[in-house]
Amino acid sequence: MSVPTTQRPTGTETATGRLGDITLLPDGIPKVTGDFAYSSDLWMDDMLWGVTLRSPHPRARVRSIDIGAALATAGVTAVLTHEDVPGSKYYGLEIADQPVLAVDEVRYTGEPVAIVAADHPETARRAAAKIVVDYEVLDPITDSRAAMSPDSPLVHATPTQDHYPGGGNILRHVRIRRGDPTLTADVVVTGEYDVGMQDQAFLGPESGLAVPAEDGGVDLFIATQWLHVDQRQVAESLGLPEDKVRLSLAGVGGAFGAREDVSMQIHACLLALRTNKPIKMVYSREESFYGHVHRHPATMRYEHGANRDGTLVYVKCEVVLDGGAYASSSPAVVSNAASFAVGPYNCDNVLIDGYILYTNNPPCGAMRGFGAVQVCFGHESQMDKLAAALGIDPVELRIHNAMAEGSLMPTGQVVEGAAPVAELLRRVKDAPLPAAAPTDSYDLRALPGGVSNTTHGEGVRRGVGYAVGFKNVGYSEGFDDFSTARVRLEVVGGELVATVHTAAAEVGQGLITVMAQIARTELGVEQVINQPADTSIGTAGSTSASRQTYCTGGAVQAACEAVRDGILAMASARGLSVEGAALRDGKIVAADGAAVASVADLLGEEIVEETREFHHRPTEPLTRDLGAPGDIGQGAAHLQFAFAAHRVVADVDVELGLVRLVEVTTAQDVGKALNPLSVVGQIQGGTTQGIGLALMEEIQVKDGKIRNPSFTDYLIPTILDTPPMQVQVLELGDPHAPYGLRGVGEPPTISSTPAVVSALRAATGRPLTRVPVRPEHITGT
Amino acid sequence: MRQFGYERPEYAADAVALAERPEVRYLAGGTNLVDLMKLGVETPDLLVDVSALPYEFVQEDLDGLVRIGAGVRNSDLAAHALIRSRYPVLAQAVLAGASGQLRNMATVGGNLLQRTRCVYFQDVSKPCNKRMPGSGCPARKGDHHNLAILGASDQCIATNPSDMAVALTALDAVVHVQDHAGPHEVPLAELYRLPGSDPQRETTLAPGALITAVDLPTLPFARRSRYRKARERASYSFAIGSVAAALDVEGDVVRDVRLAFGAVAPVPWRARTAEAALVGGPVNEEAFRAAAEAELAAAEPLRDNAYKVPLITNLVVRTLAELAAGS
Ligand SMILES: Cc1cc2nc3c(=O)[nH]c(=O)nc-3n(C[C@H](O)[C@H](O)[C@H](O)COP(=O)(O)OP(=O)(O)OC[C@H]3O[C@@H](n4cnc5c(N)ncnc54)[C@H](O)[C@@H]3O)c2cc1C
Ligand code: SF4
Repeated sequence: MSVPTTQRPTGTETATGRLGDITLLPDGIPKVTGDFAYSSDLWMDDMLWGVTLRSPHPRARVRSIDIGAALATAGVTAVLTHEDVPGSKYYGLEIADQPVLAVDEVRYTGEPVAIVAADHPETARRAAAKIVVDYEVLDPITDSRAAMSPDSPLVHATPTQDHYPGGGNILRHVRIRRGDPTLTADVVVTGEYDVGMQDQAFLGPESGLAVPAEDGGVDLFIATQWLHVDQRQVAESLGLPEDKVRLSLAGVGGAFGAREDVSMQIHACLLALRTNKPIKMVYSREESFYGHVHRHPATMRYEHGANRDGTLVYVKCEVVLDGGAYASSSPAVVSNAASFAVGPYNCDNVLIDGYILYTNNPPCGAMRGFGAVQVCFGHESQMDKLAAALGIDPVELRIHNAMAEGSLMPTGQVVEGAAPVAELLRRVKDAPLPAAAPTDSYDLRALPGGVSNTTHGEGVRRGVGYAVGFKNVGYSEGFDDFSTARVRLEVVGGELVATVHTAAAEVGQGLITVMAQIARTELGVEQVINQPADTSIGTAGSTSASRQTYCTGGAVQAACEAVRDGILAMASARGLSVEGAALRDGKIVAADGAAVASVADLLGEEIVEETREFHHRPTEPLTRDLGAPGDIGQGAAHLQFAFAAHRVVADVDVELGLVRLVEVTTAQDVGKALNPLSVVGQIQGGTTQGIGLALMEEIQVKDGKIRNPSFTDYLIPTILDTPPMQVQVLELGDPHAPYGLRGVGEPPTISSTPAVVSALRAATGRPLTRVPVRPEHITGT
Repeated sequence: MRQFGYERPEYAADAVALAERPEVRYLAGGTNLVDLMKLGVETPDLLVDVSALPYEFVQEDLDGLVRIGAGVRNSDLAAHALIRSRYPVLAQAVLAGASGQLRNMATVGGNLLQRTRCVYFQDVSKPCNKRMPGSGCPARKGDHHNLAILGASDQCIATNPSDMAVALTALDAVVHVQDHAGPHEVPLAELYRLPGSDPQRETTLAPGALITAVDLPTLPFARRSRYRKARERASYSFAIGSVAAALDVEGDVVRDVRLAFGAVAPVPWRARTAEAALVGGPVNEEAFRAAAEAELAAAEPLRDNAYKVPLITNLVVRTLAELAAGS
């Protein structure tokens, strides 16, 4: 196999430390200094460049495509359309409804229509511009609530899915009914809430390099979250067996869900096989906004009924998510939104309807928080509103209703293991508050508007807000979610070395560190090498759903245990007593702590290597509405729940509508912090992403077109927008999980958004029912 | 992107000669032009790089007049001791714009002639009277959250995005231009045009005109001047409203004042009505507010940009109050 010159063995940088140690990520410094090789840096001397022609219309019939002029351009080697896709012309994570290249209709602005390979990217772009596509432009369907109407035109004329037969544009409708939601209550509050479309805003655009192989297959170097799910889809569309499509992870510049779907993977491979040359594709920033899915925008209607003492009597919720043109992971996102719609509270009577719609907007799919983010803004806004109606402190109201171990989810699932909702809330409430803003002197950086010098304290009011949220870890609803790890122990140059191989994607979260920490601890070796992630080993599942340390960590642990058993068996075969022994500091150590033998001496030239899969406990699909009486949408659909709470202190310039967050306090149960530094990093980063959604991050889509596809116009928080954070980490241990850990990555993103808005409401007295909150919402103008 | 040629002349006359045809653009820092070329909004066939021209200076003449070369980088301008001490409003306005990296590239000339951020202007698949005269203005009914409340026309409601130009407008800056007719001077207030019925013409410059320098008249009370800018995050984003002000107070009477608004009009908006209302009047918040309201009485807010009216009013009151308190 030929390997691109800049394909560094990603993830092989050696991390140090054992489980529980504070350990720096080995890729951190190269990323900061610019030495890290990202997928966009991939290079081969004889490579060609691939470019994509995209639809300028959100909805149009494709009458014809004329590639003649493009193909005749000097320097152009191939121009391909749907006719050139040898295998499946459609792909998708769950539902294969997305054309590799548009067939007869385009369904969103930016949909790929044709691809071009040339010796220079600019040549390829110019040639793409010469492709003549005859479109019959149709009125786009862009309003998700209107799309629900049975009279609405259909985004997909022939339904390509079986999730909600006969539902028109409704891709999935999740109904949850438990108890008696027709009850009446002393106090009732209703509310409507909207969430805008957020982008994952990773910095490394979609990119990869496809290299044709001598066996008629292809090797793809790619930044992705899940090598094997890409492999399956690429192979299906190329019409090749999976073993002829080999993927290796290239340097990933952030993911957050946006790399779960295929972007240029199939295109690059098609061009490589057609031209018999390596093909590099790199999206521009603007193209990247069209090249990946986003967080679903939501409109939500809530009704909460409670007794005078604050006890929730019932909750009704309707959440409508705009899925855009193709399914992506939407069916799972809406299931999550419905599951978590009530929040981490006890309530016996629930009526929840979650809808996800096909529209001609950009496709939406996975993003950190995965459906729980939208509803958390809804339920937490409602809890604040209910507290005000009851005259109860909002934190006390939450604690009064807080879920705990043994509580029931709206789906009837029993919450197992620690569910410290009340404790998390108490901790953030009891943390000392920051000092009041000084009135005599001012530091512009600490004021709303920052160094823009908009206020010296005039018009500034302080508000404090709280929120708590939760979500599932791992894949749900009966999915066989697992990972594979191979661990080898041998002596190299007189030293004991463990090698860990998985297909798990390191996307910046620190998995390679954790894998090395596990091997180092379990096998008692100093030197651990992570082999590059690729598809020569079984799947690791996706780097998403906060699951990779749980699943791949679990697989590495299991493989290490098998290797250890192999070593002990060798020792035993040589007559050593190894009853209850462990491996520590390169030695076999007996139960009483005495060293029995040196592992290196024992191994000599031999190698012990084991491969193990780790499957997490099975989950079950939600029962479907089959017209049967009784509770519906029930089932133990989720593996594990992860909880976080936030307190936000905000200074708000109520005259100009500008915000300065003074401080964020957060508490989260992580079960066990394998690398405490990464845990805090995840919590800070996740919290910041939630702050972005609360205050500025929104993809503005009008008439099916993204209006701000650049980081000049799509704003993400800068360091000046990011306040100091007090992070409290609880380690309550989940008995079912490897090392007792609980997924960390997503919970902080979920509750930070509503906590920010709650603080803004406290400062302004305004209802603020939409995120992101804009200056004019704060000033009410 | 259209294929283009590239020249880097050393003399202004050569640059002007090269730029006579409408398909030619001057390239300074490139921070706006190159983005627009990538988007297909600008399609020059020749770029004339002005970075070799001798315009990277900030000088003071014997009368105290300060001349700034068109090639001075935004970072250097903001850091210059003369500017910081004499015209703090200008240094603050420049520093409030863009980011450190961009300011290191961006120049005075390029900053003055940067184009509007209107999303339809930047999207070649949409109609836009400024880009394609007569094609229509989708912003009026569509996305106009950050577009004009003052000085707009039926044809165009775009805003000028520059922070620097707001400060220069308040300071009565004069622009030096060289074109086919030779060198001449234009007061900044006369450089920019309101859109009227031909929004594609943004300036009064002749085709191919080269900006060579900007003069700042001596304005002693500008030592007490301020720029305040509201934006949607703490740094690195365009204004949604801004105010440049200089105030001269004698006793409890306003002797003189300069006031300009940003992000509210197709041009940096000199608030002459407000200035007239203030001069000779009392130094208090009511007077400041009344003056702002007088200026904004002409505002024609649209569905989604009415917030700018109170925003600017509040900024004016605060900025003038701060200047008054400091005097
Ligand atoms: C992410 C981002 C954020 C930004 N934020 C802000 C902000 O907050 N506030 C703000 O004010 N600006 C902001 N800007 C805009 C920035 O200030 C301008 O892009 C910059 O000032 C342009 O200067 P330049 O030298 O790079 O011009 P160029 O891009 O080189 O040129 C711009 C235009 O001026 C013409 N031109 C250049 N020099 C001359 C000359 N000497 N004579 C005649 N014509 C000339 C060019 O032909 C071109 O039409 C931002 C830009 C970006 C990309
Ligand atoms: S406001 Fe001006 S720039 Fe924007 S679309 Fe209308 S005409 Fe074009």
